[in-house]
Amino acid sequence: MSAPIGSQTANIAMTAGMPPKRISRTRRATFFSLVGLGTIVGAWLSFIFLSENGMRLSEWALLLVFIPLYYQLNVGFWTALFGVWLMNRSKPDPLDLWLTLSVDDHEQPIEASTAIIMPVFNEDVTRVYEGLRSIYLSLEATGQSANFDFFILSDSDKASQWIEEETAWLELCRQLQAFGRIFYRKRRKPINRKSGNVSDFCRRWGKRYRYMVVLDADSLMSGALLTSMVRIMEKNPGIGIIQTFPKQIAADTLLGRVMQYAQALYGPPFMAGLDYWQCGEANFWGHNAILRLAPFIEHCALPPLPANAPFGGHILSHDFVEAALMRKAGYAVRLLPTTRGSYEEGPPTLVDMLKRDRRWCQGNIQHLWLVFAKGWHPMSRVNFIHGILSYVSSLLWFLFLALATFLAATPTPHGDPQAVLAEEILLGLTAMLIFLPKTVILLDEVITGRMFKPLKLRLLTFVSSVLDTVVFTLMAPVLMVFHSRFVIYTVIGRSVNWVTQRRKTDGGLNWAEILITFSSVTLLGIAWATLGWFVSKAFLIWISPILFSLVVSVLVAALVSGSRSGRRFGLFLTPEEHEPPTVLKTMQENLEEIKDRIQLAPELERHYGLLQVCLDPYVNGLHVSLLRRRRTIDVSRSYLDRIGHRLITEGPQALNAQELKALMHDTDTVTNLHYRLWSAADHELAPFWATAIRQYNLASTSPFAHTLASREVPAA
Amino acid sequence: MEALNIQFAPETGTEEEWNEAYARLADYFRAYNLHNRIRRTQLILETLRKAAEAHAKDPGRAPTAHAIEQARLMLLEWFGRIYSDMNLSEAQLEATGRLGFHLAGGPVRWPQFFLDEENMPEDMGEAMRSALRTSGPGMQVSKMTPRDIDLGLIPDVAEDTFDRLGRHPILRYSVLLLIIFGVLGYLYSLFA
Repeated sequence: MSAPIGSQTANIAMTAGMPPKRISRTRRATFFSLVGLGTIVGAWLSFIFLSENGMRLSEWALLLVFIPLYYQLNVGFWTALFGVWLMNRSKPDPLDLWLTLSVDDHEQPIEASTAIIMPVFNEDVTRVYEGLRSIYLSLEATGQSANFDFFILSDSDKASQWIEEETAWLELCRQLQAFGRIFYRKRRKPINRKSGNVSDFCRRWGKRYRYMVVLDADSLMSGALLTSMVRIMEKNPGIGIIQTFPKQIAADTLLGRVMQYAQALYGPPFMAGLDYWQCGEANFWGHNAILRLAPFIEHCALPPLPANAPFGGHILSHDFVEAALMRKAGYAVRLLPTTRGSYEEGPPTLVDMLKRDRRWCQGNIQHLWLVFAKGWHPMSRVNFIHGILSYVSSLLWFLFLALATFLAATPTPHGDPQAVLAEEILLGLTAMLIFLPKTVILLDEVITGRMFKPLKLRLLTFVSSVLDTVVFTLMAPVLMVFHSRFVIYTVIGRSVNWVTQRRKTDGGLNWAEILITFSSVTLLGIAWATLGWFVSKAFLIWISPILFSLVVSVLVAALVSGSRSGRRFGLFLTPEEHEPPTVLKTMQENLEEIKDRIQLAPELERHYGLLQVCLDPYVNGLHVSLLRRRRTIDVSRSYLDRIGHRLITEGPQALNAQELKALMHDTDTVTNLHYRLWSAADHELAPFWATAIRQYNLASTSPFAHTLASREVPAA
Repeated sequence: MEALNIQFAPETGTEEEWNEAYARLADYFRAYNLHNRIRRTQLILETLRKAAEAHAKDPGRAPTAHAIEQARLMLLEWFGRIYSDMNLSEAQLEATGRLGFHLAGGPVRWPQFFLDEENMPEDMGEAMRSALRTSGPGMQVSKMTPRDIDLGLIPDVAEDTFDRLGRHPILRYSVLLLIIFGVLGYLYSLFA
């Protein structure tokens, strides 16, 4: 099956799951011909308009940045249209993976061993474990869970977080009676971040399993979909990765709800369209996907890139590269069009979205190294280029507008009817490329009721779609400025840190954060508008929607990050909000229960895990039991004693994260801290500990129940 | 279970110190989720008596410290008997014992036998022994070695350039300034 790495793209046998070359070639020829034609027509019209009085250097530059932008518009346009066509045609898609399963297949017991892994890094422990519990219960309900194991793979570097993860793991296993089914592993050093975390799992336990389902900390998947994915993999040995379409859920801000609404409405046709032309060379998005472990272990380990971060070094956006490597090894990477069963959460505010985009941008720009590497399937190169373009296009758009401003300042007369006509056609075409896909998808929904059957909800969908266009129009120029900045930062060598992604707001707007982040954009908008005023009034009117968005960016950021999301009017409603699937309902009910738990003083809550491991005999016992014993050298022993003493006498706030982590890694220190704290007189203790000892026994009836809902499974 | 004997008359230490030791021990045993108050009181008194003997020999340490130390010794002895066949280090024994008691449901099922070596039911010891947990299944190690990707000629040139620019921030910003001034110069030439 597999070919050596470095050779030409593997000679693929026609194994099940790998789309026939004939179909792939026909589809791509059709798709890229239309995309190419659209791009050429656009470029040609643009050239006719610009070249009326001969081409100046600035006009060539404008044309140069216009072409990739127009290409990208065409790709989106044709992907959506093919998707809508696929969803509506009466004949089933011959490449539809669901068709590979017969009715009997759904009844067969699953014998393949599958690991469901969830890499976590300082995530909300309650959300992680309640999500996992819902998935576990949903899988149990299928009656096919016997060969599935769950792994929480932690890289958390905060001591309290680590302990809370351990206690939640134990409690979840106890409540579900799932010892030996749900496992917890904490890495001492988070080498190579998430991809390193997954690789570490593969090295330790990969041989035990045929498949691996990768989840994000905020992922949610139904048992029905998980079992179907395994069955599809079993029936299609030519597939290396199946990527599902994770729909966004659980948003409570305007931005989150608009994003999840847009994804619910426009996502399925885009997915179908992508599946149409990507065929067996789709992308892996890093989570909510199933992977065939043996080829993944053999072929998909990631080498570091040349040069240092941010351009080189460790590959950040590992998923695209893993998909390319899997395809290079001869296995198909497929999209599985799904509308239910695969979910994730999105960033709640514009600032959080930008933080995430900053990471993704750097990761995608890194792929520049790989575009020209030897041995890739051509479609893998196209996927890399599209990934790069998704961020670089913002810079190109910015340059386009800057060059347009410059051309408006140095105008040449446009009187030739042919040039004027070309400009008008181009404007019309561009508007069509932008708005037609949305219109067609919306009409499809209103007519077919794919999301909602009741007419009232379909009409609300129509109104929501108009409103989401307003929101995205206001946000797009702001995103353009930030994405351009991210691309430039990456090029000049400013790297990003690995930070936890926030999934929920703490309630209320962080005005300081918004002002600091967006005031420069407002200033840019004002400066640009002033320049436009002096340059050309007609040009200013033309560019005013963009400049308006920039000027009001602070207000837009505040508006979309707020909790007024139109829900009470039925706007931006998704099927998951209207009728939550069981897996989501279970999780939400449990999260509600946790909100009512007894809270300790805020200072104690902040260090709750640390407090527990030091004071609670059971949590202390659990942590020491899970630690690997290492020989402690004398120097580190005296160091640990010193910081242990500071912890007791000055409290946890006196120690930095590294010191706390060092303490928590040593079995003897953790054991001794427990007794030293309980043995000390009140006056020897930091106020934190004196209060903690007095209050600890009031917090919860069980030391392990602080982060989890109490849902015991009745004994069989 | 023995009849509760509340007789406690330490030879050393002040009443205030022993009261503090009592309160701390009470909190400590509550942390074990022992809701059986009679057993808790029994344990506190038993521990305090041992602590009083120890304090008489070493009055330099506070009664609270002696009390917790005695509780630890009692735990070690009790766990040592339950896990006698397991060859565990002291830290492992304590950790395993405490966790085993919790997972076996000890605080609810057998609170009256906590730290009771003589009357402990057989099934309690068995439940504690079988409650040993590990966080992962047995490893089956595989090799996952990255293979070199032949990036071709362009990355070689780019790598040299980036390395050079990376080593010399002044050079990097000079290149950036050169580009900016180049663009500004071009604009000036157009307007001039």
